[in-house]
Amino acid sequence: MRGIKRIAVATMAVGILAAAGCGGGDKPIGSASSSNPSSSTSSGGGTGQFKKGGTVTIANVGGQTWPCQFNPFNPAVNQVALGFVYEPLTFVNVLKSGATTPMLATAFAWSPKKDSIVFTIRDGVKWSDGQPFSADDVVYTFNLMKQQPALDLYALWSGAGLTSVTAAGNKVTLQFKGAAEPYFYNFANQVGIVPKHIWSTGEAASKPATWANPKPVGTGAFTVESCTSNNISYAANGSYWQPGKPYVSKVQYPAYLDNNPANLDLASGKAQWGGQYIPNIDNFYKSKSPENNYWFPPTANVAIVPNLDPSHKVTSNLAVRQAIAYALDREQISKIGESGYQPAANQTGVVTPTFDKYFDKDALTAAGYDKPNQDKAKQLLEGAGYNASNPLKLTIISVTGYTDWDASLAVVKQQLAAVGIELTTQDLQQQSYNQNLYPGDYDLAYSSQSGGPTPYYELRQQLYSKNTAPIGKQDNSNYSRYINPEVDKLFDQYASADEDTQVKLIKQISGYMIKDIPVIPTTESVDWYQYNTKDLEGWPTQDNPYAQPAPYNIPDVGQVLTNLYSKSAQK
Amino acid sequence: MRYLIRRLGFFVLTLWAAMTLNFFIPRLMPGSPEEALRERLSKGGSVVTPEQLRTVLAEFGFEPDKNILLQYVEYLKAMVTGHWGVSVGSSLGVPVTDLISSALPWTLGLVGITTVLAFIIGTFIGMVSGWRRGGLIDGVVPPVFIVTSALPYFWVALLLISIFAIGNNPLLPNDFNYDQGLTPGFNVQFIGSVIKHGLLPAATILITAVGGWILTMRNNMVTTLAEDYVRMARAKGIPGRRIMFGYAGRNAFLPNLSGFAMSLGFVISGTILVEYVFNYPGLGYMFYNATVSTDYPLLQSLFLLVTLAVLICVLLCDFAVFLLDPRARTEG
Repeated sequence: MRGIKRIAVATMAVGILAAAGCGGGDKPIGSASSSNPSSSTSSGGGTGQFKKGGTVTIANVGGQTWPCQFNPFNPAVNQVALGFVYEPLTFVNVLKSGATTPMLATAFAWSPKKDSIVFTIRDGVKWSDGQPFSADDVVYTFNLMKQQPALDLYALWSGAGLTSVTAAGNKVTLQFKGAAEPYFYNFANQVGIVPKHIWSTGEAASKPATWANPKPVGTGAFTVESCTSNNISYAANGSYWQPGKPYVSKVQYPAYLDNNPANLDLASGKAQWGGQYIPNIDNFYKSKSPENNYWFPPTANVAIVPNLDPSHKVTSNLAVRQAIAYALDREQISKIGESGYQPAANQTGVVTPTFDKYFDKDALTAAGYDKPNQDKAKQLLEGAGYNASNPLKLTIISVTGYTDWDASLAVVKQQLAAVGIELTTQDLQQQSYNQNLYPGDYDLAYSSQSGGPTPYYELRQQLYSKNTAPIGKQDNSNYSRYINPEVDKLFDQYASADEDTQVKLIKQISGYMIKDIPVIPTTESVDWYQYNTKDLEGWPTQDNPYAQPAPYNIPDVGQVLTNLYSKSAQK
Repeated sequence: MRYLIRRLGFFVLTLWAAMTLNFFIPRLMPGSPEEALRERLSKGGSVVTPEQLRTVLAEFGFEPDKNILLQYVEYLKAMVTGHWGVSVGSSLGVPVTDLISSALPWTLGLVGITTVLAFIIGTFIGMVSGWRRGGLIDGVVPPVFIVTSALPYFWVALLLISIFAIGNNPLLPNDFNYDQGLTPGFNVQFIGSVIKHGLLPAATILITAVGGWILTMRNNMVTTLAEDYVRMARAKGIPGRRIMFGYAGRNAFLPNLSGFAMSLGFVISGTILVEYVFNYPGLGYMFYNATVSTDYPLLQSLFLLVTLAVLICVLLCDFAVFLLDPRARTEG
């Protein structure tokens, strides 16, 4: 679960390990930058039939022992339930610009105004207890979320404007107040459908939000065979609806508390599927076996977030923000600060190559942000009244223990010093950092957000005015407190627009990223993903990105698990 | 009798004071369960609004807007009656008692046994090296262990891992409390696995903890050996071994005992770094985790446990003094 938080101890620990046991031998900086190892020629993607057998062990630090609860509505445990046991209506692939794969719904159709959607529910699906699955279950799931607002994690009823969910035969209609296309990712992909016959009785019905659900019944490819606080053992669901799948017969999910043991188990091949940040990965992991592979697809940005509130005079000054954006050499930040694992970001805020379709390179070049321009930065600073005798001094807050951020900020500091900005990094404990960031008590903050199937999701979090709050109030996600009615309008149009218009709208919005510099992206945050091909094939790879590959990506984990197969079982 | 009652009264008063602190200190920490949950979810890629998180947490009984004094009274009542609530941190929704009871045996087993072992071994080595002052054992063993006791826990842990647990066919496992895939039970395989997994963390604690006991025991021994009754015993021709154990050792041992009582109390809090490095799911790790995720119910209960353990050990120590030391009785 989650990348950067864990870096702290791991880096420390592994650093010490290297000193104590293995000895140095560093690779040249940046050698991993452009060549993400794409590994072997795995097929994946759901074609072909394979014999069943084999086990996959997941190494992904959850930082806790397993509570053995599998309530898909509980945000603390849904990572071990969704994708494994519970399935969505439609899978949405973030890495392929939101390409859809039918799951429990065989098809869906939007109304012309995109304010209602009809799902055709798949026939012949059975719950893992043998009961038939039907449109009733889908309706029940969504209505349960209406009755119990705590279940409605993505605020479909309260925020997205869902007004009713009804079934007619095998069709389920979701009716919204307005255009709701952006929420498709949430309601079709992130909501796991639960069985009505289980959830309408007993504790599941009376307290669905807190119910432990220790023996989950779902439609997914796996069922929970046994669970202890140390390990969850999943077994293939014999009556799974996708013929022949899953090929792998067992999944072991040990509860790793700390990076160090998880990384060691990945390096030795004891665990085959990782979602880990591994410092110096080529040395520590890749070199241990030719079958050890990794791939880090970027999905969102890590950025310098300036405080745009007028009370923060320096950072609300456009020239200052432009100067910072011009002064940064993002390639260098990526190479030195992130060892090349996180690629360089760009000022449009559109993550490349993942969202290339939306990327407006010409606009970036026209504005001069395609490469660092120190002279321009100096000019801007002079124009704003700063010079050698009156240097611009700024403080940026970061999180203690995020060592890669520290390294990146050290590079940023050097680059800004070259144009005459004195940057001080203030490392704060996670809790204090949040207490500064959310209410807007900072000048600059180093921060990252999560993305979605198109750049719309991240940009909307960062730039939509409804996601912000006045200084002193807890802010949703627009930490820079950027308020621009024109940009809001573009976001509002997006919901009902067709695909081509949506691309145009994103380009327009990223135009405002260039014009107003509300956020200054530096590197692109990635999904941490390691995979071992000694016995298992069918992994998502750079050539075949059929799902987000990290085991903490839900429900993508279900896609990966139904495509994996064991080589030894094929003989 | 008044001595005993006074001690008991003191116990209750300290307990109340400690419980009050346990309530307020976590709430003075920066951050809140809501922010911690939000942070964790966003790292997982889910975008959930703060309002929604508040709704979820409220469902689990976390109501930060309630009057703090009211919360305090309810907290006291809950602690006393054993209704410790459910976690609002990373194990959202799991009863705190379940969490603790799953971790407690491992910590008690690992840290408890090693603390007792360290005390016994340290005391014995200290006794022998004090007895044979200037001898070979005295020249080598105490200095070595004093150096090792100055080493940080986690460093020793990592050193042991790199020696014994790295490679294609490691000698010992580097993580967990037993092999994944085994079901706990009383059989050779499981117990063997538990011991195998416990060796490295136990060795880490032993290596770093023995030194302290050796040093104090040796010094006590040296002072005691200068006492008249030891000289008397020698003059009487009592065998050396009996003098060492029965005369000098027994007396030198007493001051160590109260220190031992305290360290037994602190067994409950586990050894955070050792458990962290070895992925050992004990209370120490749970403490760390609860702090990071600002999990008030879990933190409160863990604090209460540690407070209780230390206080009870001290109380028992007081009672023992009452029984052993006539002066304590007469003064009352």
